[in-house]
Amino acid sequence: MSSQLLIQTIANAIAASGMLALIAVGLTLAFGVMQMANLAHGHFFMMGAYTVYALYALGGWPFWWAVAAAVAVGAVIGLIVERGIFRPLQGDVVSGFIATAGLMFVFEVLVGELWGWGLSRPIPSPYMRAVRFMGAAVAFQRVLVIPFAVVSIGGLMFFMRRFRLGRALRAVAQDPEAAALQGININRMTALAMAIAGAYAGLAGGLMSTIYAITPSLGGHIILPALIVVVVGGMGSIGGATLAAVIFGFVMTFVTTLVDGVTAVMVSVTVMAVVLAIRPQGLMGRVIA
Amino acid sequence: MPILEVEGLSKYFGGLAALNDVNLSIQEGEIRGIIGPNGAGKTTLFNVISGVYRPSSGQIRYQGKTRIDGLSSSRIAGMGVVRTFQRTALYHHFSVLKNVIVARHLHAKENIFRVISGLAKKTEEKNTEKALEIVEFMGLGHLKEELAENLPHGHQRALGVAIAIACEPKVLLLDEPLTGMTPTEKDRMIDLIRKVHQQGITILMVEHDMRSVMELCGYISVLDFGMLLVEGPPAEIQNNEMVINAYLGTEDILSASTSA
Amino acid sequence: MSSHSMKKYKIGGLAPLILVLSGLCLVPFFLRAYLVEVAMMYFIYIILAQSYRLIVTVHDWQLYHIVLYGVGAYTSGMLAKNLGVPVFVAIPLGGAMAGLVGMAITLPLLRTKGWGFYIATYGLAELIRLTWLKFRNPFGGSTGIIDIPWPPVIAGIDFSDRIPYYFFSLGVMLLVMLMLYRIEKSRIGDSFKAISMDPELAASTGINIPRHRLMACSIGGFFAGVAGGLLVHRLGAVDPKLFNITTTLYLLIWVVVGGTNTFWGPIIGVSVMHTLFELSRPLIEIRPMFFGLSMVLVLIFLPGGLEGLISKAITRLQKRDRVAPVET
Repeated sequence: MSSQLLIQTIANAIAASGMLALIAVGLTLAFGVMQMANLAHGHFFMMGAYTVYALYALGGWPFWWAVAAAVAVGAVIGLIVERGIFRPLQGDVVSGFIATAGLMFVFEVLVGELWGWGLSRPIPSPYMRAVRFMGAAVAFQRVLVIPFAVVSIGGLMFFMRRFRLGRALRAVAQDPEAAALQGININRMTALAMAIAGAYAGLAGGLMSTIYAITPSLGGHIILPALIVVVVGGMGSIGGATLAAVIFGFVMTFVTTLVDGVTAVMVSVTVMAVVLAIRPQGLMGRVIA
Repeated sequence: MPILEVEGLSKYFGGLAALNDVNLSIQEGEIRGIIGPNGAGKTTLFNVISGVYRPSSGQIRYQGKTRIDGLSSSRIAGMGVVRTFQRTALYHHFSVLKNVIVARHLHAKENIFRVISGLAKKTEEKNTEKALEIVEFMGLGHLKEELAENLPHGHQRALGVAIAIACEPKVLLLDEPLTGMTPTEKDRMIDLIRKVHQQGITILMVEHDMRSVMELCGYISVLDFGMLLVEGPPAEIQNNEMVINAYLGTEDILSASTSA
Repeated sequence: MSSHSMKKYKIGGLAPLILVLSGLCLVPFFLRAYLVEVAMMYFIYIILAQSYRLIVTVHDWQLYHIVLYGVGAYTSGMLAKNLGVPVFVAIPLGGAMAGLVGMAITLPLLRTKGWGFYIATYGLAELIRLTWLKFRNPFGGSTGIIDIPWPPVIAGIDFSDRIPYYFFSLGVMLLVMLMLYRIEKSRIGDSFKAISMDPELAASTGINIPRHRLMACSIGGFFAGVAGGLLVHRLGAVDPKLFNITTTLYLLIWVVVGGTNTFWGPIIGVSVMHTLFELSRPLIEIRPMFFGLSMVLVLIFLPGGLEGLISKAITRLQKRDRVAPVET
């Protein structure tokens, strides 16, 4: 591996970590608050990407306006799923999980019917420039996600420590019953968590839309790495998800560069199995007695 | 000969001692009462003995030399130490009879190939017969086809004991068998416990209802703050200064219990 | 998923069963060739759905069942093609392999609870599927394996013909159903349900939970593998796409829509949903949405599935028969 390629790969790995973190943090937050898992979370990401495609590539909106719309679309979808599926199924983990599996079909068909099936949609990058660093060139568009990931996740952690609403969210994630006794409105918190989860996935989808070839099946491809990150990080742990996102961002990018994408997924799954065999609760998960 | 010995048993939860250096020696054939205020560590003691928790330190010996601390719940049950739960633990969607049939797991072992080929039928029939006997013995014969979730509370508790008896234990741990019962239900349960004891089963019982504990148990151990406070026959315990102090602010532990 | 309701009701004794069976025996002689092929797929899917339900009774909604179906297909196909193992021997061997693989991938996950478990099973399923994709030798990569041997001629009956194979797969399905029924009604089946209702209580009565979970996974896996064997020797080819997450979603849809509380649920689920699937071929693009939505709606509004609905209707009818309605 030449030093140029090495630097390029490291930059890509950091970008991939940022994207994975943005997706996984929302997924794990929603899980922590509701104890419910959203298999269609990757499809939120896909909807974000398609929002940018529709508004920016087709509609001629400025790129950043389109990204902002992707965030809003993600949040709204999150709210709808919370209201329509998780709330009626409250507490029924298996049903919630399977219902969101059914949702995967729904979103895929929706997007496919609206914007066409099959071939990927190319989206022209608004920033053609490359960042030059020690002789290596890294696409500016690709590293764009990094500052956004840092600010959003840092902001979320700050919000959950310093703000009353955020602390309430944290309390529900730690012990829903005790939180309810303190007068915290659980439904409001689950809605908030799903809105944040949707918004973050939409943001990641919007930012990465110009890099990935987007197709209706994009959600199905991105969900597995995101789930692996959440499970390995420890379900419900935002810090754990961030840590695991960095680990898998690097593992997947390097294996993809050195071998191929299929092997990268295989290696990641194997790492997950090993971690779970040793630490069933994940790296930073709490042990449930 | 002691059938169950607990030696230096401690259990910590994040630095907090739920059990602290507890020693117990249970003689074969006795009914031992375990009492103490709420949070004294009684249920934790049962959870550790029955394998739900691993002890932080200490030993539990069964029948003289067999160490059972740290074994899994199912193995401990297999050796003959079986517990009931403070909550009303039943298979709610099974019939009364089915609840007991399932609990006879240990004594109706059949491998999957015999099941598939239909050779296991005889064992299963015999098992059902035995389960029916237990249901009758526990006074639930007339309710055997009823779903467990539809039983009145007293019968549900009796079924909980029936499930434990079905495992054919040598030592039975009863966790608050009288909780939430009306006086009539209580009397019936006390008779049942006596009947079970007459079958030669050693009983270890956590209970808040002091009158019943005093009536049933030959010997009582008192836990407080995870430690063994004092042990002795009921008459001694009733008048023990330390025990009375442990049940803070109540002069008479008998009245403390019945109102709780 | 709500509970196992053990309410007693009779679907109607032996008469309907005999009627259905004789219907199934006559049908291939009257149907168009294509429809006979479709009918065989019903048998394969019913084996899949019922074996999956067995695992669901322990509450392990694992997501590798379809991949075990694939393990059976690949194993049976490769044994027959590369080693010349007779087809009717290769099929159960494929099942055995699937059972073993099911046990092997459940083992490291036994201590992982709830959602983490489901996700991890999905991950490991993908690992196996990607192995087929990645290693062209011996799995053939994305094109898979072709020229898999057809079943032989036995006693003058050519099992590679449509109608003999129809009866062969019907027979296998009935045999599998009989075995699963016996397990369901046995103490082992009861222990599975006991574990899903109250694991703590089950363990306290000496039921070894990890052992039972592994047992359910490997028995279920065995039958999934057998279904794969049935498939592969009819198609004559196999490729990784047959076993992807979409097929898993359809399996979930059959089982959930049919209902998991009783033995009959998955049969109803496959019968209804696969019929709708075949009928909606003209709407191929939006079909998945309809199926996804129907599963969501059943989960929210009909937790017992179609089977629950039917059994409720039957008990209501029986009640009305017994007690004459009071006019007001």
